[in-house]
Amino acid sequence: MKAKRDLQFDAIVIGGGIAGLQSALDLGDQGYTVAVVDKDATIGGKMIRLSKVFPTLDCASCITTPKMSSAAHHENITLFTYCTLNNLDRQTPDKVVAQLIQEARYVDPEKCIGCRKCEYGCPVYVEDDEQGGFNMRKAIYIPFSNAIPQIPLLDVENCSLCGKCAKVCPTDAIRYDMKPEEFSITAKTAVLATGFELSSMEQKPQYGLDRLQNVVSSMQMERLLAPHGPYNRVLRPSDGKEPDSIAYVQCAGSRDESLGIPYCSRVCCMYAIKQAMLLSGALPLADITIYYMDIRAFGKGYEQFYQNAKAMGIEFVKAKVAKITQGENQTAKLRYEDQEGNGGVMEREHDLVILSLGIVPQWDPEGICSVGCGQDGFIKSIMPKIAPTVTNIDGVYTAGVAAGPKDIVDTITEAGAAAMEASNYMKSLA
Amino acid sequence: MSEEKKQSTATTDMKKLRQERKEYISGARDKMKGQNKIIKALKEALSGDPKTIPELAEIMGMKTDTVLMYVSTLKRYGIIGEGPKDGDYFKYELTK
Repeated sequence: MKAKRDLQFDAIVIGGGIAGLQSALDLGDQGYTVAVVDKDATIGGKMIRLSKVFPTLDCASCITTPKMSSAAHHENITLFTYCTLNNLDRQTPDKVVAQLIQEARYVDPEKCIGCRKCEYGCPVYVEDDEQGGFNMRKAIYIPFSNAIPQIPLLDVENCSLCGKCAKVCPTDAIRYDMKPEEFSITAKTAVLATGFELSSMEQKPQYGLDRLQNVVSSMQMERLLAPHGPYNRVLRPSDGKEPDSIAYVQCAGSRDESLGIPYCSRVCCMYAIKQAMLLSGALPLADITIYYMDIRAFGKGYEQFYQNAKAMGIEFVKAKVAKITQGENQTAKLRYEDQEGNGGVMEREHDLVILSLGIVPQWDPEGICSVGCGQDGFIKSIMPKIAPTVTNIDGVYTAGVAAGPKDIVDTITEAGAAAMEASNYMKSLA
Repeated sequence: MSEEKKQSTATTDMKKLRQERKEYISGARDKMKGQNKIIKALKEALSGDPKTIPELAEIMGMKTDTVLMYVSTLKRYGIIGEGPKDGDYFKYELTK
């Protein structure tokens, strides 16, 4: 392996999701050298894990993979995946330093050819979070088929050290004794594109604390809808039944003071409508219901998308679901107040229920970086109206959902803006 | 370093690693044993006609969600394939 103690770049981008990749590509195309750092073993972030995107219904993989590939093959961009960021701060006006750990994959990236023979040879199965926990991967695995880089990682906690992977590897790339390696990156500017995660399934006792059969999160549903998902079709996870009746519970993790998430997560209405449309295509006979507080179709073409969903027969019920319990025959029973019909408390059972969970920050900079955050935990812009990517640290910018919930269109626009701010900052140093 | 010496260093290193990771190794071995039993039972249950998840669960005396987890995993690795539909359920069959 190449020694990588202290590396120099013009810019460092933290996060290899669509925001980080767009910023990196925009800076790289201008001739700046860029380091992209990701905590995951692959770049692509949340977007590569989606089925399709609204309102165009483009396949997420088909439009994200070319961006990932462009970044991976760009002469000015270097990817650092499976890394932990220990510290990032500005030291002088032209020097921002990131202290990092290259976590051990236990596979030599210089030798590995991505043939996956190790994965097929491995005898241990492990629940696969990349597939919503609905099926299993091996203890040595490439995260998903279009991951970049195509280098496996060994899950040491589930490895029996049987040696089969090393035996079948044609290039002798398995390194059982690999150790994490510290290194640092010095750059002139940084873009923080650390993204989001969904609020927890276990935070609301009224919704079953993740213990009810056939109540899944919106990201799990993305996997069920993806063509290369766990079942390659939409099935009820409890028994493989093709669901007849599917329901979405909106604001299941947002606009709720009791959860500490009082804000609107902005994209849940649209992704629920998108998933409902995809479901009505995949299961034309199924009844699909969306229980909502308000529909917020804010972007270009989004209101039309919502109207199209209604015209397709998707039922919209204005109600905040109060409680979900286990129904009969593995259904989930929803209890809600009917606000627009005859009123009163109603109960309905569905084969499959999706919780439209809220968006919360993926990264907490506390103790790592002095960048300021708002009360909601997202990175704070010091000029939210006229320069939304500018943070409290000179020459350190933010982009995408790291700065607050937003859709892919706004994320890409903001990533371009962050790259332009970073480029101007570097010009000002000259 | 001679080939013989290299081999002996590698064996010592693996011994040391096995000692360091003995809890993980024992957990993984237990997991593997349990999995192999289920996979064997599943293959036996599928040795005749294609079957649905509830049918397999009844034969194997297991919960339907666990059976689905194994069926979809073996489908991912090409050992099981999807067969014809039977009502609301799909049937599954061995591919080899």
